[in-house]
Order: sequence, then structure tokens, then C-alpha cells
Amino acid sequence: MSSGLTLRIDLDSDVPAYRQIVDGLRILLVNGKLAPGSELPSVRRIAVDLGVHFNTVAEAYRTLAEEGWLELRHGRGATVVKRDAPAASAEKVTEFRHRLRALVAEMQSQGASAAKLSVELRTAANELDL
Amino acid sequence: MKLAILFTILPLALVAVIFQVMPLLTRRGIFFSATVDPEFPQSSDGRRLLRSYRLQAALWTVLAFALAALSATTRPAFGASLPVLILVAGIGFSYWLKFREVHERYGLRRPEVRETSLSPAEEKQSINLWLVIPPFVAIAAVAFYLNAHWSQIPDQFPVHWGVNGQPNRWASRDLAGVYGTLLMGTVMNLLCLGFAWALLRMSRKSMMRYVTVRMLEVLLYPLTFSFVVVSLLPLMRIPLWLAPSVMLAFIAGIFFWSYRKITAPSAPDEVPEPQNDSYWKAGVFYYNPNDPAIFVSKRVGIGYTMNFANKMSWVVLVGILLIALLPVLLVRK
Repeated sequence: MSSGLTLRIDLDSDVPAYRQIVDGLRILLVNGKLAPGSELPSVRRIAVDLGVHFNTVAEAYRTLAEEGWLELRHGRGATVVKRDAPAASAEKVTEFRHRLRALVAEMQSQGASAAKLSVELRTAANELDL
Repeated sequence: MKLAILFTILPLALVAVIFQVMPLLTRRGIFFSATVDPEFPQSSDGRRLLRSYRLQAALWTVLAFALAALSATTRPAFGASLPVLILVAGIGFSYWLKFREVHERYGLRRPEVRETSLSPAEEKQSINLWLVIPPFVAIAAVAFYLNAHWSQIPDQFPVHWGVNGQPNRWASRDLAGVYGTLLMGTVMNLLCLGFAWALLRMSRKSMMRYVTVRMLEVLLYPLTFSFVVVSLLPLMRIPLWLAPSVMLAFIAGIFFWSYRKITAPSAPDEVPEPQNDSYWKAGVFYYNPNDPAIFVSKRVGIGYTMNFANKMSWVVLVGILLIALLPVLLVRK
């Protein structure tokens, strides 16, 4: 099910490798490219391929397991499980709003217009098939 | 005496030739182990650096040959070992100087973008059992044959020969003497398989890995042939030159196949290893504490080197040395 899919990270980026792995996998989980039943490679193989510490990948898998996306298999990889979307709590919505505002401010400070931001947001939502 | 001179000149000439062509045995975008523009080696600066390195290598070669000629008359016991050591150290130093110059003046910093397939099926690569079992079967068959013809084995028989073709080590007709050579062959085969297995688990997937694992699997055949021939010598008349000839022919064939495979136009243009030159000490020693891979493909030549920042690399290195020394210790006993 996960054949042909790849995970890419930039080790020169300011974003930590752990966050890039979680974000990269979550995108594939949200848009359904990693469907329930799909098996993910072992922590060892992902870590060796990406050139990051085993704990970095294990932590990323644990985070996604806590979010309900994955079921971890001891000493092996992980399996994507069927997940009921939880209702976002008021606190979570507030947290996302703060993060989004910070991101929008950063983009605007780099010269992206409000119209451009709007297009980018809609494109991202469409890509994730929301 | 003539053979002894040949065995002094041959290693020196071989090392000198390898060092002359070494800068060319690399992938595009790497020059003297440093990351450069793919067109740089053809530029005037690139050609100047190559010429300068080759001249220095030639001077070290002349010095090594002079030393070999001197030691042949005064200290013949040294053979080629000291001149080869000086040759390797001297040219190695020249190579390091060139690496430093290329890295500092012309080096590039490529983005460290890494990618992995999310298909678990790619983990199912393994050692080809159908390929590696026959050598072990052959060793077992020869052991049975020796057991069946035990009474025909002489009380004393040669197991090692000098460069002049004369035996210089003998064994007795006992368990260690008769089966020791086969045991050594088994240990050497297991060492090759152990290395192939470790490579599959502790390195990144690439054409280089595929080729190296196949090389190690196929290497079992000439190794087994050599040990089987030696263990059968007390019972059969087999020409001494046969084992080293088969070994050389096999190794030449394996290297030719590997080179063709890696340089084939259909071979994927992949560079799965970290790009940053700072991980390569002196251009040849890989040292990256953040990388869990133990084996990384070399920047120059065919094969793998180790990540010396990983403690497991040292454990593996000591393990390989101990296993390699085991046959020597057994024979000395």
C-alpha cells in the first residue's frame, strides 16, 4: 500500500529532523496515501536511510501513534490504523490559531501578500483532500 | 631468488599503478574525495592538480623502488613490506594535501537532503542462499572424502609453501592437520557472509551495496576452491599454481563485473550517502556521529568504509580482525 511513497527531509533545515519526519508522514496519513493497513519500514531502516539517530525516528513514530495514526510493532515497523478524526477541543483550536498567525506573520514579513497566503492555504487544503 | 625479486616488485608496481589511477575511480562531482562541480576535473585547475599529484606519486614510487633495491642487497628479509609502507604513506600524504586544497579552494556544499522509501518490501533483501550454500556443501563433501580415505593420508604433509614453491609448513595426520584447512575455509566463508549480512543491515540501499554483497557471495567460490585444493593435496596430485590462478581469475572477473554494473548507463544515479565533506577526514575516513549507518560507500574506488564515529564500527572492526586472525592462531598452535 505504501509502495512508491518516499519520505524526504533536509538535514540543513532549521526544522528538527524529528519534526520533519512527523510532518512528512502526517501529510501522507491525512491525504490517505498511507491508508489503514499500510506497513511502514522499521525504525532502523528509516534512521539509516535518512542518516538520523534511531531515537529520532522512534520518537516520530511514537508521536504519530499517540495521535492514533499508527500501531507500533516491537522491533519492527509500524502499521497504519483506522482512525476516527477527534473533535478538536477549544484549547487545540486556539493553539492552532496562534501557530497559524505566527506562520502568516513570518510569511508576510518575507513579502508574501495576503492574496498569495490565501491561495497557498487553499492549495495545501486541496492537496490534503480536505 | 628471481621469484623473490618478482614478489618485491609486483606489490610495489601494483600499489603505484592503483595510486596513479585512484583519483579517476570516483563518481561525478567528487575530486580527490572533495565535493566539486562535476565539470571541475576537466578544468585547467583540475588538470593541474591531477598532474601535480601524479608527479608526486611518481617520485614516491621511485623512492620506494630505490629502497626496495637497497633492502634486497642489505636486508632481504624486509622484502616489499617497508618500501610498500613508505609508498602508501607518502602518496597518502600527497593525496591528503590535494584533498585539502580542492576542498578549501574549489569545494562545494551540496544540500543535505535525504530520502527514504516507505515500502517495507525493500527491507526483504537478503543473502542469496542458493548462491552461498554450494561452497559449504563442497567443504562438507571434501571432509567426508578425507574421512573415507584417512588411511591413505601420509603421516606428514605440506600445508603452506614459500614464494619459491617449496613447502615451509607441515601438518600431521590428526584432526587439526587434516581438517584444519577446511575449518579455515569455513571461517573465511562465514566472515564474508557476516560482512554481507552486516552490510545489508547497517548501510543504505544502493547499487554499490548490491554489487558489494554479490561480490562477497561469489567470493566464497574461489576461497572454497583454494582451501579444498590444499586439503586434498595429501591425497591427490594437484598443480600448486591452480588455486592462486583460479583465485586471481575469479577476483578479476568479479571486479570487472562490479565495475560494469556500477558504471552502466542504466545504473541509477544515486548518491545515498551524506554529502558534506566535513564528514570525510583526510578525504577517506568517514566520521559522522549523527549517522547510525556503520558502512558507507567509499568516495574513491569500489566498496565500503566504516563510520568511525559509531562505536559499533569499532566492535565490528575488532570482530573482523579477530576472526581473520583465528586461522593464523590455529595454524601456529
